[in-house]
Amino acid sequence: MPRNFIDGNEIRLTVKDKIFCDVEFYSGQKFENLEPRRLFPVSGLSEYITFLDENGDEQFIVRKLDNMEPEQKALLQGCLDEYYRIPRITKLITRTEKHKIWMWTVDTDRGVYTFEIINHIQSMKMFHDKRILIKDGNDNFYEIPNIYELDKRSQKLILPDM
Amino acid sequence: MGGETMIPKDLLINKQPAPQIHSVAEVQFKGDEKPLFAVVGDLELDSKYGEGAVYVSENKIVSVGNMFDGGFISLDFASIDEIKVKRMYGNAFLRAKTVGGSTIDLMRFTFAAADICDAAADFITKVKAGETVESRFAAVESAFRNMRSFCPKCGRKLPYPNAECLNCQGKSKIFSTLARYIKPHVGTLLICIVLSVITTVAALVPPYVTSLMVDNVIPNKDKRMLIYVILFLLGIYLAQYAIGAVRAYILRVTGDKIIADLKKEIYAKAQYLPMKFYDKTSTGSVINRVNSDTTILQQFMLRITQEAVVQFFTMFGIIVIMLTMNWKLTLLSLIPVPIVVFCSRYFGKKIGPLYHRIWRRSVSISSILSDTIPAVRVVKSFSSEEKAIGKFSRHVDDWLYEDKKVAKVSAIFPAIITFLITCGSVIIWFVGGNMVIETPEKLSLGVLVSFISYTSMFYNPVNFFANLSDSYQNALASTEKVLDIINAEPEHNFGKGSELENVSGKIEFRNVNFSFDRSKKVLNDVNFVIEPGDVVGIVGTTGSGKSTLINLLMRFYDDYDGEILIDDKNIKDIDMSYYRSQIGYVQQEPMMFHDTIFNNIAYSCPNAHPEQVLNAADIANAHGFISRLPNSYDTVLGERGIGLSGGEKQRLSIARAVLKNPGILIFDEATSAVDSETEKLIQDAINNLIRGRTTLMIAHRLSTLRKANKIIVVDKGNIIEFGSPEELMALKGKYYKLIQIQSMSEQVAAEKAAENFE
Repeated sequence: MPRNFIDGNEIRLTVKDKIFCDVEFYSGQKFENLEPRRLFPVSGLSEYITFLDENGDEQFIVRKLDNMEPEQKALLQGCLDEYYRIPRITKLITRTEKHKIWMWTVDTDRGVYTFEIINHIQSMKMFHDKRILIKDGNDNFYEIPNIYELDKRSQKLILPDM
Repeated sequence: MGGETMIPKDLLINKQPAPQIHSVAEVQFKGDEKPLFAVVGDLELDSKYGEGAVYVSENKIVSVGNMFDGGFISLDFASIDEIKVKRMYGNAFLRAKTVGGSTIDLMRFTFAAADICDAAADFITKVKAGETVESRFAAVESAFRNMRSFCPKCGRKLPYPNAECLNCQGKSKIFSTLARYIKPHVGTLLICIVLSVITTVAALVPPYVTSLMVDNVIPNKDKRMLIYVILFLLGIYLAQYAIGAVRAYILRVTGDKIIADLKKEIYAKAQYLPMKFYDKTSTGSVINRVNSDTTILQQFMLRITQEAVVQFFTMFGIIVIMLTMNWKLTLLSLIPVPIVVFCSRYFGKKIGPLYHRIWRRSVSISSILSDTIPAVRVVKSFSSEEKAIGKFSRHVDDWLYEDKKVAKVSAIFPAIITFLITCGSVIIWFVGGNMVIETPEKLSLGVLVSFISYTSMFYNPVNFFANLSDSYQNALASTEKVLDIINAEPEHNFGKGSELENVSGKIEFRNVNFSFDRSKKVLNDVNFVIEPGDVVGIVGTTGSGKSTLINLLMRFYDDYDGEILIDDKNIKDIDMSYYRSQIGYVQQEPMMFHDTIFNNIAYSCPNAHPEQVLNAADIANAHGFISRLPNSYDTVLGERGIGLSGGEKQRLSIARAVLKNPGILIFDEATSAVDSETEKLIQDAINNLIRGRTTLMIAHRLSTLRKANKIIVVDKGNIIEFGSPEELMALKGKYYKLIQIQSMSEQVAAEKAAENFE
């Protein structure tokens, strides 16, 4: 079956239960309880959003979030933000290390949290846009949108490991 | 309440919550009712960090958190229609659907608590379905045990219960680990040090002789003395360089021995590391550690044990000689030393992180090499040579960028240090020159010339120690990487545990739950029993968890919840080596080594008699094609078996299993990548092999399961059907549907084949 790509401005969403939504096309076609997911949750946050039904079958793909009407985009963005919980680190408060097990205490947009990085070589990745993605020992993700926008001390602590 | 707390002190709980959470919860349990276990989550429902908890008793669940009116919500099991963990990305909900149809989020948490929340949801679902509280609570305890393998000292998670905590090992562990490799060569290294001291003393003599020449021999025109002095100098130089050559040879051999030991140990350790290590570590990274990092470590160890000692003696000797010559000039010459030391410390701090970054870039390069060179056929088939070159070039450029930074720091700092040292010599020339001119009786020209020579010699060791931090930082980066393997927890019961008298082949999975990482549960409460001699087909769609069942049975992964038993004995209590020797495993993509066909078959039994190997090949339907090869059993296969077809490699793989003569056989889609004719040959080989042995066969083509007397149907990590093929056909469930679909597609394929034939 060919993939159903849509631009995004031809649908109307109703969010149900945080991460699920009902979708109605302007053509009249309706879908219930769809779960939007990013096809590129690491490299393309606002592109190619797939909508899965309760069986996990894909119904359609929105090419770009930016193509949607602002109100609709905000609703979908809200759904995705609920599903993809990647706290944004705003400050590295403390960092201790022993035998390559790192303990970070960070301030994030969701509060202060302490986590462990088991292997900092595998678990930290810096992208060309200066974004850093970190995976902790429990497989949770954290993001630093731009390392150079953190305070100098945090930069000094993080950059040598990148 | 009567003042009596309803929360047992020994409550099974993952961590202690805030006291107010406990106090809200305990009010909800009345009379004899007490919670059996509790799970503390780390998020608020709005996804901010915070604390919430669920308390589960025999018949109700109480969720406590700020988001509920009154701070809690209590649900009887009877009012719950469905309860499950909804895993998302980096977080999850424990979500209940009530009989009334409403959905309630009981708790939100990061993946830190996901496994035990799964266990809690399973507990409620199964108890509600009529299973006993005791049996389900055992599964919950198992999940908690896995979760609670923390170091009692520092609280960090351990790879398995009672494992040694890497975090709590002292800092000296790094040095003691390295010292272990030097220890066997201490005698040789001591000899080298003695030789070094002799050459050092010899090197200190010529400047002293120079002062004699300048002050006495030349002014007195004493030719006889001149010849003696020259001959003496020649003797000293000869001794110095001859002994130096012997020392260099001994050092080279000793260094090679150290590096050989180190490489062997890393490789040996790498063999026993669990699959989880390889899931998270690239091949390139491991290769880099065995090759480059060991070399850096060897160089560093020799620098520390040899050069540092020599340089120290040189420095000490020079200071003593200089002090005896002129203490004032000696103190003057020491002026730059604190600045040099300060600079070197600063240099070390600056360059250390840069070496880490270079290492990361080197690993990326190695990873690309180990990825693309073996896959060169794919690269060529897609004409992707330029793309591959481009990608490699980008990574090399990244490395070059970092290396340039190191080069800059490495070039500037030593230059600064050398300049400071030169300043010291200039000061000596200035002050000493004045003294020779003004008070020649206090300082002669010969002594000044000699002193200048000693000063320049003195700064060699100073320079050495100043730059030592550079190689120290480089070595430290490599040490960390090497220790990452050496200190990694191996599969922990090799050589431990018991052996069974003989393996009859009964296999039992009891409440087994597993996930590779916490983001997705791969096996969910798996329970089944396979009797000795059963031939069991495992079917299901791709990604349903079939191969994971086998991975756990093979003990490639040991960190699952629940128990797997062979002949009623927990496989974790059986010696790993013995255990695996009892299982014949034929993989979907058989791995062959760059060796002869004979050795590839005999891999499972290196001391096998040639006739045993021939017999094994015969049973595996491989003897025919092998004997037709020009070099027959002596044919050397290319890397990963290049030179043989997929079906031929598969039959060699089966021959390996035949030779092993195991009690249990596992075939993981052994015929998935071969044509019908080859499939028949392989199937015949399998049929020859499985007689009387417990056999597990994963198969996409259900036609290959004709010999199976039991079928396990796996779907999304759950065992949804288990029984004889006849029972499952009568059930008309998933297996029935799969058979229907395959029968139709086989019919269509047969019709198409017939049309083409006509």
